[in-house]
Amino acid sequence: MTVRDVVVTALVGAGVAIQVFACLGVVLMRDALDRLHYVGAAAVGVPCVCAGVIVAEGPSLIGLKAVLTAAFMLASGPVLGHATARAIHLHRRARG
Amino acid sequence: MNGWLWAAAVLVAALVPLAVVCVRLPAPEGLVALEAAGVDAVLALLLISQGTGRQPFGDLALVLAVVSFVGAIAYLRFVEAFREE
Repeated sequence: MTVRDVVVTALVGAGVAIQVFACLGVVLMRDALDRLHYVGAAAVGVPCVCAGVIVAEGPSLIGLKAVLTAAFMLASGPVLGHATARAIHLHRRARG
Repeated sequence: MNGWLWAAAVLVAALVPLAVVCVRLPAPEGLVALEAAGVDAVLALLLISQGTGRQPFGDLALVLAVVSFVGAIAYLRFVEAFREE
């Protein structure tokens, strides 16, 4: 097992663990805004897994796609979180 | 099955409780679960394409990242639109 394998295992394992805990948080919290908090936490897992793929494959086709995916998720995650919180707020204010 | 596919299997298993939340709870909670499921599925597809050695399928992850973002924005409009009733 080379150093590269250890790094890849650590990165992918950490990313998947963060993702699973974020899913647990989304499922277990009571309020919609509390649940939304864990969607933001899931965004931390994406660069971990993508970095694992890049370390394993080096500069390659899937490495490039992993970079693009991570970049897009990092850019879109906060936008989506903000828009969702706003929509939930408006929804509640209308419903009373 | 290699490590990549096991990691993907864990992520796919995590989709099941999110689907239950989507189906059973009111619209705002379901929408949040849908967004979490989108992130989860993107990573699962990336890991599957790496684990099966079919690197061109990495496109699926990238496309799903874009499509799930746009889809979530579309559903947000519906959740907001309830205020006009």
